[in-house]
Amino acid sequence: MHILVFGLNHKTAPLEIREKFYISEEKIGEFITYVKEKGIKEFVILSTCNRTEFYLFSETPDLDLKNLEKALLEHLNIKHNWVKEYTYTLHDEDAYRHLLSVASGLDSMVIGEPQILGQVKDAYRAATFYNSTGLLSNRIFHRAFNVAKKIRTETKIGYNPVSISSMAVEMAKRIFGDLREKKILTIGAGEMTKIALKNFKREGIKKIYVLNRTFANAKKLAEEIVGEAYPIEELERFLSEVDLILTSTGAEDFVLKRDSMLRAMKTRKFKPLFIIDIAVPRDVDPSVSHIENVYLYNIDDLKELSQKHFVNRMREAEKAKEIVEEEVQKLPLLIKQMDTKPLILHIIETIETMRKEELKKAFNRMKYLDEDTKQNIENLTRAIVRKIIHSHIELIRKNGSYEVLETLKLLFKFEDTNEERDSSRDKG
Amino acid sequence: MNIRLFYLSVGLYLFSTFFYLIYFATVKHLVERIGFLFLLGGIIAHFLSLILRYFEAGYTPITNLYESLSFLALCIGGFFVFIRHIHKARILGSFILPVISVIIIITAFLPQEINPLPPYLRSFYLPIHTTFCFLGNAIFFVSFVVSVLYIITENYIKKKRLTSFSMRLPSLELLDRINVRCISMGFPFLTFGIITGSLWASLAWGSYWSWDPKEIWSLITWLIYAIVIHRRLLVGWKGRKTAYMMILGFFSILVTFLGVNYLMGGKHSYL
Repeated sequence: MHILVFGLNHKTAPLEIREKFYISEEKIGEFITYVKEKGIKEFVILSTCNRTEFYLFSETPDLDLKNLEKALLEHLNIKHNWVKEYTYTLHDEDAYRHLLSVASGLDSMVIGEPQILGQVKDAYRAATFYNSTGLLSNRIFHRAFNVAKKIRTETKIGYNPVSISSMAVEMAKRIFGDLREKKILTIGAGEMTKIALKNFKREGIKKIYVLNRTFANAKKLAEEIVGEAYPIEELERFLSEVDLILTSTGAEDFVLKRDSMLRAMKTRKFKPLFIIDIAVPRDVDPSVSHIENVYLYNIDDLKELSQKHFVNRMREAEKAKEIVEEEVQKLPLLIKQMDTKPLILHIIETIETMRKEELKKAFNRMKYLDEDTKQNIENLTRAIVRKIIHSHIELIRKNGSYEVLETLKLLFKFEDTNEERDSSRDKG
Repeated sequence: MNIRLFYLSVGLYLFSTFFYLIYFATVKHLVERIGFLFLLGGIIAHFLSLILRYFEAGYTPITNLYESLSFLALCIGGFFVFIRHIHKARILGSFILPVISVIIIITAFLPQEINPLPPYLRSFYLPIHTTFCFLGNAIFFVSFVVSVLYIITENYIKKKRLTSFSMRLPSLELLDRINVRCISMGFPFLTFGIITGSLWASLAWGSYWSWDPKEIWSLITWLIYAIVIHRRLLVGWKGRKTAYMMILGFFSILVTFLGVNYLMGGKHSYL
């Protein structure tokens, strides 16, 4: 058996090409059926906005690939030269390495982002649903999920937030720890504000006040994210009440000046205040940051922090790659374990031997039988045995999960030759 | 026997410290739990050794440098267990445990034999006065560590730096809250310590207050913490200012506890 990956991603193809290869969730079933009609039996299709990839599991991968390309050209309206220009094909170890990297987010645009694992799982689920998976694909994909999980727990690849708004949340946690009892005030009601507020909402922030010069916009945003809208004139009273302030107005002048902030801090008895200024030009007088217990971050500060964290992620990615490499080494063994022919032969042989031995014993006891009857009995036992064997082989071919194989091996006392069986067993 | 138990507790504290340092590096909760179990073991062994010593000596064993440092370490450990339970500030252990270790190692090198109790210490106030004082000292010791951490953490945030080190530190709010807990618990102990001390003084020396260096410095310490409470409630000396004051207060405790005896002398010179 061989593994082969064919496809394109954000590194090899621009968006307009990736769009053409994109197979939506609604269409995936239809397409899988279509590919199966081309004679390809075992495959998984992963299609996201950043990549479309075909994982083939086959004895004759190159033939399958040719058929797949044909199917693509016919079904997806894809030009031949695109395939040449933008796609990649990887074999066996390289293909496995690629799958592991994709599942653990190492191949993503934002390294370590967690969504991709869910997408790979969905792709695999769709393949199982439309019956395009088999022995090896089942095993390989489950192992990939485990490796992705291991990387997530053993490295800090998903640990460092990267987007500006999640960076703001992270800093808020450095200051306040738990955000569930905190109140945030936003001045301005733009798109950036909305994204940032959603991030804070996810942390369970207690209250959101939205102030905006155009009150209608404040109201709209407040409704959308479940907050309270107030006219901008009431700004002063909120300054002494809230724990966080997020500003993003289009104002040319400072919206929060040092004097008013100092006054506000005195009223609130210097309870810590985190101000996030994501407006350009800035909304908050930079000298505000010198006030005791005020922490002021502007958009550049957050950008710089997230940049530095990108470097950290790269370092963690190196560790993750080592875990991937370790797993890739196991592939030949995995494939060998998945090779069911020796097991099937063994089952046939065992049952056949039993049949012959019992038959011989019976014939010895019944010396009076004529040749014709003997032949009939022989045929009868053959038919029974064939049916028994058939059901076993059916089970292996249709649901050859690791567990099933292991059970059969135990049942028929089949010994794997020269391998350490347990070491490659999935843990957990 | 009490000495053997004491050394057992030293070993357990060192193991605990080891696991807490590993915990800081790995942030694995299991490691912290192991460290915590060692700490609990250490505290129990330590406490038993004190009880044994009490019976062997026939008096409350807080009379010399060995005994008082040992008791201090026990109180710090106990207070950390309390803080950990209330505030869930597990990572604090990575800073408190090394402190306990240092104190306990110093203690292990001090003379440990039991001497007959000097007559001037024979008083019903001995256990009360010393327990109050050392509980207060231990709490303010923790508060000192917390305050130093506060200043480090705040520096990181003000300077807009985020490193894998700073990401492990507790949040500013949590540190400040622990500091408040330290003042609200440490201050009453300190106050009672001074009051019982002066009652004892009136019995032993004939007057409640005789401007002895120990008395003066404990008053200074008391005033520093009183100022923190007052300013905090009135004008909001929150966060960094509280932290600076707690550090100042701690140095004042050090002078009171050790400096007075070794540099200034006075009536309270046994400790």
